[in-house]
Amino acid sequence: MRQPQPYPQVRRPAGIVGRLEARLGESGILLLFLVPALLVVIGAQLYPLASSAILSFFDWSLSRSPTVGPFIGFDNYVRTFTDPIFANSVAFTVILAVCSTALQLVCGLGIAMLTVGESYTLRLVRTLLMLPMVVAPVAVGTIWRMILSARVGPLNQALASIGIDGPNWLGDPNWAVFSLIMIDAWEWTPFVAITLTAALTSLPSEVMRAASVDGAGRWTTFRYIVLPMIMPIFVLVAMFRTIEAFLTLDIVFTTTAGGPGYTTHTLSFWIYQQGLKYFNISYAAASSWVMLLFCVAIAGGFLLWRRRITAWQVSR
Amino acid sequence: MSRGLGYMAESSAKAALIALALLVALAPFVVLFFNSLRPADEFLAQGAGLIPSRLTFEHYAEIFDPNGDTFRYVINSLIITTASTILAVLFGALASYALARLQLPFKLSIIIGILFLVIRFYPKITVALPYFLLMREFHLLDTHLAVIIAHVSMTVPFVVWMLLAFFEDFPRELEQSAMIDGCGPIRRFVLIVIPLMAPALAAAAVLTAFLSWNEFLMASTVAPNAAKTLPVRISGFITDKGILWGSMSAMSTVIVVPVALFALFTQRYLARGLTVGAVKG
Repeated sequence: MRQPQPYPQVRRPAGIVGRLEARLGESGILLLFLVPALLVVIGAQLYPLASSAILSFFDWSLSRSPTVGPFIGFDNYVRTFTDPIFANSVAFTVILAVCSTALQLVCGLGIAMLTVGESYTLRLVRTLLMLPMVVAPVAVGTIWRMILSARVGPLNQALASIGIDGPNWLGDPNWAVFSLIMIDAWEWTPFVAITLTAALTSLPSEVMRAASVDGAGRWTTFRYIVLPMIMPIFVLVAMFRTIEAFLTLDIVFTTTAGGPGYTTHTLSFWIYQQGLKYFNISYAAASSWVMLLFCVAIAGGFLLWRRRITAWQVSR
Repeated sequence: MSRGLGYMAESSAKAALIALALLVALAPFVVLFFNSLRPADEFLAQGAGLIPSRLTFEHYAEIFDPNGDTFRYVINSLIITTASTILAVLFGALASYALARLQLPFKLSIIIGILFLVIRFYPKITVALPYFLLMREFHLLDTHLAVIIAHVSMTVPFVVWMLLAFFEDFPRELEQSAMIDGCGPIRRFVLIVIPLMAPALAAAAVLTAFLSWNEFLMASTVAPNAAKTLPVRISGFITDKGILWGSMSAMSTVIVVPVALFALFTQRYLARGLTVGAVKG
């Protein structure tokens, strides 16, 4: 019997678990702990990812043949870059990602500054403001499709009651782009707000007090103290949101289904159509790899920006 | 700052802005709720107000018709969400514990950590097609398992990333004294780490449950019929003959209400799960 014994429950005679631990040793067991997660991730993410890279160099359409066709080099990529609908989807996706993210950052920062605090009311407000983000994006689409319905939707009826003839929100090409930006921003502003609220809460209170003692005004404090301090998190949130907006798929399905025409085809939606509707497997794979490289470029840009900001802050 | 007129003007402006934000965030849910109770003939009538002329449960009765499939979709969604959440949190906790405690050569644990991080950021559409082909190969198409594996593989990286941040602050002393008592990693994990990590695990579980319950792309890819989930079912209301506004509203309410309630009760965990990656990362 060894002394002392702070954990009586673990001092039972080592059973099968103890023998296993003795047999495999400390790092053996820990390596074993890694196995399930790695297995799932490799099997269901990395292997499909790699096989899509390989498929993108072959000619295969499931509607024409059940097995993979011949190797065709970069033909699928050439086809991707010369496809006007692909270019169109890239343009719309970029507009959506940029406008929606900008809107989310502005509104999210505003909401975070309005609702930061620990009172019961503010906590309740924050919880309620979170709702748009937690419901299924597919349902967000159906909800907005109802609200924006041109003839009988509540929005246009409300506008009509004050004498405005509301547009065909989802049917008109320009308004459809605008509507999708608004819907995406509505859904994800809460994410920005929550994260920035956490960032604001974690600001050291001494700094804020020192600023007010020094007679710094509201705007000066925000511009020269708060904003620089939350900037690294701000950039990270901007990156999350830009990339995720770039991948938008679900709400397109239930609002415009990519229409009218091809005006609201996001890249994901277009690739989904190519791959899972027309079964142009290898073409969709090539396009999706082009899209993946776009995402890597976006992430790389944001991370460089963030590094410069933090380096600049450290150097001060 | 004097609590004068300026202060009052400011706090009422603040209150007005908060009220506006609440209106914008919540009004769509009110519209949805009333529409789910609106008689079918009123949908196409112009001039119908926000509140239906009479309330009806016909759409709920319709989607929950005993001969219909809605019950099956609800059950499918429940099975898939529950299994994915349990597996993702279990696998993620094991892996992040191992990554935090292993002394791997060549910064291997950092590389594995980054690998998990990257998975969050590439387009899932790239994986969807080959995953569909893989499941076809294994004859798992249209099974719960196919969706569960997909959801676990998508959410495990979240869980690992989140829990790694928590392990940075995890007190090692407790584990060390258990180690001196001859306690190997399995018993330390079960008896010390899991109980102490419970809040973090709850946060991870809440986040995973939301992701799985709402997920559309993978579910629609590998489970178009028998294992269909609720989000996939909703999208089906649109391509059919026109749009079935009433049923679609009722179905959307069925999918929204549980998560909304769940979010209200788990708000603390959810907010923590969402922010830990960005704030600590």
